[in-house]
Amino acid sequence: MKLQPVMPALVAGIHAKTMRRVAGIAGKLFALAWMAGTSPAMTGGLFLSVSILSSPASAAEAFVTAQGADSLSIVDLSKMATVATLPIGGKPAGIAVSRDGARAFVTSPEGKFLTVIDAATRKIEKRIPVEGGPLGVAASPDGKRVYVADLYGRRLVEIDLATGAQRSVGVGAMASGVAVAPDARTIVVADRDDNALSLIDAASFSRLATVPVGKHPFGVAIDASSARAYSANVESDDVSVVDLSARKVIATLKCGSRPYTVALAKGRVFVANQHGDSVSVFDAETLAPLETLKVGEYPEGLAASADGARVYVANWFSNELWALDAQTLKVVGKAETGDGPRAFGAFIRDAN
Amino acid sequence: MTFVLARRAFAVAALSLLSAGSLAGPAFAHGPSRQKVVEKIEIGAPAAKVWEIIGNFQDLNWHPAVAKTEGTGGNAVDAKRKLTLKNGGVIDETLTKYDADGKSLSYKIDAVDVKVLPVNNYAATISVKDDGGKSVVEWKGAFYRGFMNNDPPPELSDEAALKAVTDIYKSGLAALKTKAEGK
Repeated sequence: MKLQPVMPALVAGIHAKTMRRVAGIAGKLFALAWMAGTSPAMTGGLFLSVSILSSPASAAEAFVTAQGADSLSIVDLSKMATVATLPIGGKPAGIAVSRDGARAFVTSPEGKFLTVIDAATRKIEKRIPVEGGPLGVAASPDGKRVYVADLYGRRLVEIDLATGAQRSVGVGAMASGVAVAPDARTIVVADRDDNALSLIDAASFSRLATVPVGKHPFGVAIDASSARAYSANVESDDVSVVDLSARKVIATLKCGSRPYTVALAKGRVFVANQHGDSVSVFDAETLAPLETLKVGEYPEGLAASADGARVYVANWFSNELWALDAQTLKVVGKAETGDGPRAFGAFIRDAN
Repeated sequence: MTFVLARRAFAVAALSLLSAGSLAGPAFAHGPSRQKVVEKIEIGAPAAKVWEIIGNFQDLNWHPAVAKTEGTGGNAVDAKRKLTLKNGGVIDETLTKYDADGKSLSYKIDAVDVKVLPVNNYAATISVKDDGGKSVVEWKGAFYRGFMNNDPPPELSDEAALKAVTDIYKSGLAALKTKAEGK
């Protein structure tokens, strides 16, 4: 293929993932150019440079589950615009983008399956049936395993992506949010109707402890040092701060109405208040309240960019993704999404 | 701000809610897929006049389905009201937000039998905005269907919940228009 010698010069310094994507685009362009009778090398080269500059895969993206639309909205965060929509089905709610950005995992609680997506090419790789009501989802830091909470089955399901093997560990009633500690040792599950968190040992896949928290914990987050977990407690309007080694609540943060999810960035704790139409912000060290930011209607999914500069919030009722500056605590952008964005989980795919 | 178009309920068979049996679960349990309804109506009366009607949380008697409103707490947040419907059903509600300047109030249902209204975790906002001397009223709600697990019976499905709430908003807004326009 004539393209080969041109590629390294053009894509020098571009990440391998982007390169694969560009090669795919270039291949299609070559075919078009050949059919049109123009010089493949010239047309390919020209389009290639353009496609690198505008390559969606090189910008940070949000993978937003749009439950009402039964689809996944992919938002280019540099433009704050939805650039792709993938039909998912089964009322998608939970999302986890693997740490390396290679894959996205989407739960469909009513369809009872997990959709595995090649995040770079935005193609659906496969659907994996999961019994019950798969909702909360998180990937292991190495991207080899996915953990899915079964809302109705009092269990957390582990899926080995290489073999497809599934195993379960018992957790509490209405298991909702899932988070994996960055050190890969502990998995935290919000047992909503038990008002507790289950702590799971990742290696043995067994339940180590349950920690009573506020009323109806839904979203959970774990800090970068794997020391603390945070649960947003929908019915008690607060966040429980849990010391993972002591396995107990060390502080309770009063939030707005119906806190749903938690995200951490810039040494701060961000909480989406579903009925408050707001995001509460706390200092992670002193736990002092800093600010309450007005956002869209029914904020749900909340996640930070890898550098912590931005926090993104999906507003379920108003069908928007808002970008917040984690330092200045100002709203810096808004994007329209499909109907009913939930984005429940780690929905940010970082720039290469 | 972007608003969605009102979700229309699909054509479903007449609701046979009386045959639903005792499927109600714990008050806060619900399925995984929340629904939303937005209905709007233009009214040929000033927003202030319309707000005089809808802004009193203790009186929903302008709604054609409501026979009686009883409550405590006036228009203060956390005020309660009990609606007795003309068909005998009862709905207990709490005022969650009240913005007199913005002419908007929000409330939630504390307790309702799914045979009366096939929803769970229902919260709603009704507001009125000036539109050049006329006004536009918007009523919007978020809720889960009546059946809290997967695979609901048809009378407690998402479609049944959407239809029930949409019908309440449409009939209520039509009656509000008639009343406010003094016809």
